[in-house]
Amino acid sequence: MTSILGVGILLTYVCVLILLGAYGARVGLKTREDYFLAGRGLGSIAIFMALFASNITAFTIIGHAGFAYEVGYGAYGYVIGWSIFITPFTFYLVGYRSWLLGRRYGYATQPQVFGGIFNSKMIALLFLVLLLYYTLPYLVVSVIGGSLAFTTITDGVVPYWLSSIIIISVSLIYTLPAGMRGTVWTDIFQGTIFLVVAVLLLVAVAQALGGFTAITERIMQENPAMLQRGQSPQLAPINWFSFSFINSIAVIVFPQMYTRILAARSSSNLKRVSIYYPLALAAIFGVSTLLGVWGSAAVPGLVGKDADNIVPLLIHQFLSPAWMILGLVVILAVVKSSIDSQLLSVTHLVTDDFLPRLKRLSSQQAVFWGRILLVVFAAVAFYIALVRPAAILSIAAFAFSGFSVMLPVMVGALYWPRANKYGACAALILPAIMLHLWYLNILPAWTTFGFMPVFPSFILAIITLVVVSYLTPAPPPEQREKTFAIFDRVFNDTVNEPVVSTKDKIG
Amino acid sequence: MKFRGRLALVGLIVLIMFILHNSFWLWDLDARIPLLFGFMPFAFSFYVGYTVLALIAMKLIVALAWPDPPAEVIELIKEREPSDR
Repeated sequence: MTSILGVGILLTYVCVLILLGAYGARVGLKTREDYFLAGRGLGSIAIFMALFASNITAFTIIGHAGFAYEVGYGAYGYVIGWSIFITPFTFYLVGYRSWLLGRRYGYATQPQVFGGIFNSKMIALLFLVLLLYYTLPYLVVSVIGGSLAFTTITDGVVPYWLSSIIIISVSLIYTLPAGMRGTVWTDIFQGTIFLVVAVLLLVAVAQALGGFTAITERIMQENPAMLQRGQSPQLAPINWFSFSFINSIAVIVFPQMYTRILAARSSSNLKRVSIYYPLALAAIFGVSTLLGVWGSAAVPGLVGKDADNIVPLLIHQFLSPAWMILGLVVILAVVKSSIDSQLLSVTHLVTDDFLPRLKRLSSQQAVFWGRILLVVFAAVAFYIALVRPAAILSIAAFAFSGFSVMLPVMVGALYWPRANKYGACAALILPAIMLHLWYLNILPAWTTFGFMPVFPSFILAIITLVVVSYLTPAPPPEQREKTFAIFDRVFNDTVNEPVVSTKDKIG
Repeated sequence: MKFRGRLALVGLIVLIMFILHNSFWLWDLDARIPLLFGFMPFAFSFYVGYTVLALIAMKLIVALAWPDPPAEVIELIKEREPSDR
């Protein structure tokens, strides 16, 4: 009975995704901007759920709960505390100014925005290469994490390789025909599912463990260190401080997040999203933290990677089989909503920023090649997820740091007219090299002075940008004018004539 | 107030939020503050409060330093050739 119900729920879920994809393809136009940016017409709810669902990965449900299982309630503040504020703040700091330039000049990706600001093909190429270099391993790790979770929650009935095929092919079903519109509509559907089911799951687990208060009191008696951040070596203040520079500020640099900001219909939509985004982040990570900590009392003794299975184990041991089906749907929703946006963004980068270097593409040709590349990248991600080469996994381990150290150049480009292409070039390359030297243990650990490598690399990026920009010629006035005249108009409330003629746009 | 002044206030808000997140001197309270709603220890409930603060901070930032763009800045994109889009 449960298996019939389970198959029914899963089929319904997949059918809804297919219908959304088919409808998205039907209403969409066959233009580059419509396929990759949903025609720059995303409203508040669409942009909110698109950002949220792309931001939440298998790590939220699996990895973070496992971390909370080990270190206690402090995991909440360590992993997501600073993000609760700074991630939506970067939507303002970087997102809004980029959105203005995108609307004004038609920029659709980071290479276009920052290549355009510095009037430099080299900067555009550096952004393209670095973003692909960090996003592809991150995409593969998302597939691996999702497939492992899927296999665990089905108790091995669905093997790892089949889980990977299911996750990737279901993502393609709606992304291929409808592009960003398909991913955004399904993000609204899937984001709602995993938020609602996660809260229901929390309540069900609490009831099964004797209630919210009973399970917490049990933890206080059996393992009071779980309540005290100072008791965990992993949460040492220097790690806590360093971690502020990893996942929280990296989010706006992810191409799948940045592109969604550019796709917003209006400034008001972005404002609403930035104000209410903290609530969604805090809610989903709060649920994951509580489940992880409660699991440490309910299913004690898990060590290392085994702790990552705590949520499936709680469902297995304390809830009815029907919850396993809902758990499966949540895992699928969480994993796919991030994988589809990652797949689309790497495809977008190659289609819009690499292929035109070889051959001029019409809008329709760009959509055609975009669809072919989506399938190619999906196949590559599947293959790498099966082989799991160590090199790819080691890059993924510091991909977040890699994204983070690109932020100073993005902020400098949008706020500092004196920043030039030489400074930006050096500030993109040097910190990336240093990160590799530290993470691959080529440089001794003491050279980071106890911080995680991301912190000195981030500071190095700022210093390099400033010093090299000052040591080299300033950008020509007309180049600065092109970007900053717009900002002066918007942020100084001096609204009169259009600031730049349409002839100035980058073709 | 000039925009630079408002931007400085935004910087101050960010600094306060960063200091609050890294308020290690409050960690001693983890074992002493009672549970919020009977199940949230201080290490957890601090970030429930921090979330509310973040929402207020973002509302302030939007009010202080996030003006809507003049119409012509965003409208001109519509003049681009459809083939370029």
